[in-house]
Amino acid sequence: MNKKKINNQQRTFLLMTIPVLILFFCFNTLPLIKGVIYSFTNFKGYGDFEWVGLRNYIDLFGDARVGKSYLFTFKLALASTIVVNIVSLVLALGLNSKIKFKSAMRGLYFVPNILGALVVGYIFNYFFTYILPAFSKMLGGSGNSMLASTKWAWVAIMIVCAWQSVAMNTIIYISGLQTVPEDVYEAGSIDGATGWAKFKNLTLPLILPFVTINMVLCMKNFLMVFDQIMALTKGGPAQSTESISYLIYNNGMSGGQFGFQSANAVIFFIMIVAISVGQMTFMNKKEEQL
Amino acid sequence: MEKRKQLFCTLLVPVLSSCAILTACGSKGAEDGKTVIELVQYKPEAVSVFEALEEEFNATHDDIELKIESPNDAMTIMKTRFIREEYPDILGIGGDVNFSGFVDAGILADVSGYEGLSSVKQAYIDMLDNLEYVPTEGTYGVPYVANAAGILYNRDMFREHGWEIPETWDELLALCEQIKSEGIQPLYFGFKDTWTCLAPWNALAVDLADADICRQVNAGTANFSEAYREAAEKMLELVQYSQDSPMAYGYNDACTAFANGESAMYTIGSYAVPQIKSVNPEMNIDSFVMPGCDSAEDNILNSGIDLVFCVTEQCENKEAAYEVLDFLLEHENIQFYLDEQNAVPCKNETFSLAPEVDGMKTYIEEGRMADYQDHYYPAEMSVDAQIQTFLINQDVDAFLEKFDKDWLRYNRDIIRKVEKYEAGH
Repeated sequence: MNKKKINNQQRTFLLMTIPVLILFFCFNTLPLIKGVIYSFTNFKGYGDFEWVGLRNYIDLFGDARVGKSYLFTFKLALASTIVVNIVSLVLALGLNSKIKFKSAMRGLYFVPNILGALVVGYIFNYFFTYILPAFSKMLGGSGNSMLASTKWAWVAIMIVCAWQSVAMNTIIYISGLQTVPEDVYEAGSIDGATGWAKFKNLTLPLILPFVTINMVLCMKNFLMVFDQIMALTKGGPAQSTESISYLIYNNGMSGGQFGFQSANAVIFFIMIVAISVGQMTFMNKKEEQL
Repeated sequence: MEKRKQLFCTLLVPVLSSCAILTACGSKGAEDGKTVIELVQYKPEAVSVFEALEEEFNATHDDIELKIESPNDAMTIMKTRFIREEYPDILGIGGDVNFSGFVDAGILADVSGYEGLSSVKQAYIDMLDNLEYVPTEGTYGVPYVANAAGILYNRDMFREHGWEIPETWDELLALCEQIKSEGIQPLYFGFKDTWTCLAPWNALAVDLADADICRQVNAGTANFSEAYREAAEKMLELVQYSQDSPMAYGYNDACTAFANGESAMYTIGSYAVPQIKSVNPEMNIDSFVMPGCDSAEDNILNSGIDLVFCVTEQCENKEAAYEVLDFLLEHENIQFYLDEQNAVPCKNETFSLAPEVDGMKTYIEEGRMADYQDHYYPAEMSVDAQIQTFLINQDVDAFLEKFDKDWLRYNRDIIRKVEKYEAGH
């Protein structure tokens, strides 16, 4: 009797997970395996192909354009992750305190997250091309567009990325701040903890799990940045803002480098997994449990 | 045991149904006995023309149903479909390196047996044959329309100021100086969209380099550092007459600026005219051939196949596909396309051309034309972005050196193929 009950329960859980597993395998794992296979060919995306062994992988390390795109992507991801987390933590602290119109403001700050990245990109594109230069001219600046400069285009992309993802991270931080029990603060205030000391010694350690989540999510999202590039610069000027995903899509699909970019994607995949696992283990060590 | 069977069956259902969905996408059968011909074409600006032609065809043909698709970024979509081994019946693509790749991959069918091909000007068929990596017996497409690139100019503005059409490089520079001195912007570029960097580049390169330079390099008898040096240097001279920070503005911005009279000239192809006229329908535009040479006789018009219809090898009903081609090649349908799209016809008949290509007419009639150089450039090499980089850094040597180096790397499979072919013949 007892045994059957467990079996029944197990079966229900199996029925829930296995179809998903199969779908996941069909649409995620299988293409991944196919991609790995193609990475050993000179497949153009159509027609016949030859096996080229490790040529694609060897080429990857000698390809200046690929190297540049890795540098750019990591620069962008690191900077954006830091900016987003600082801004959203500050915002979350503000929105979690007792202020007027709290829920209205929370809603307002969430709006960027609902908008599509392409739409936001195109709006900012207009902003960077026409409005900002006109503004800087008025103030006596040069009036050059940030997007046209190889030095500053990545900053413009970072601003757009950050503007949009601050919303989600703020929500996560707010929920994190709400898990900190009031009595901890009370105990802290008896010991004389206020202001910065209170934040550093009480709040931050207690919301560290949320910092971990935000860091990992941010880093992963920004490493795979694509829409913003597509809308703002299309990799230009002078190929200075080609992210890895953009390069894989652009050269792999329309450029006829399917095999080569598959190899790039495999390397990129391994890198993202390594970074995420590394971040998790590092942050997990620092987390505190109440 | 019984349980297991049940479990197995429940699991099988989603798997089978997902398989069913996948196969359903791939099949395209004839509905109610009609043959369905699917045409995918890559020119988003010609959507309305093709919609009208599709309607007209389906109204006059009972046994064939024509479906024309004009997706945005069609080349990527076509290639993605090819990865899934799913082929439309007819492709409407440009006569560029994608065509070469498709021929090489055996995707396109030989249409030399198609009667309509004899009505197409030989120059364009030759142009198409030249695009093949290694020469083949057959012809793999029916050239439909061509476009021409050079310099568009504001006819009213030129008349008002009494400016003359330049015929040599020095005259062009003198004209730019003249326009500038009268307080008008000579040229406007949209280099933020990297492909627009290719427009002046191509126009200069056909004047100054051999038409088959890319094949020469593939055969190992030439290099770009020599062949392209003059074009690169002149490109830099030309860009001096641009608006402030040309890298900040895109193709749409440049078209709009030219349409609003912010600049006197715009180095782009005839294909930009519909876009410009959408901003200013009244605008009086004409064009002239890029005068890259020092004597007027040496200038050559930059003209290439803008749209070629190719029947795929997988097309089941070639006769029906040919019937669609017959329809598209009818005189009034071509004329309709020309009127709407301001293109140059490939068919050997007399058509009335748009006034915007007046300045190029004699070149077209005399056949003094050469194909766009970038039709031979592999897409993954991103020559457009390399030119953009060059225009920012202004370093001719670095640009040409990288060009030569990258060319050998991106074309090595093709070069090997050429070598193999040469060895066998």
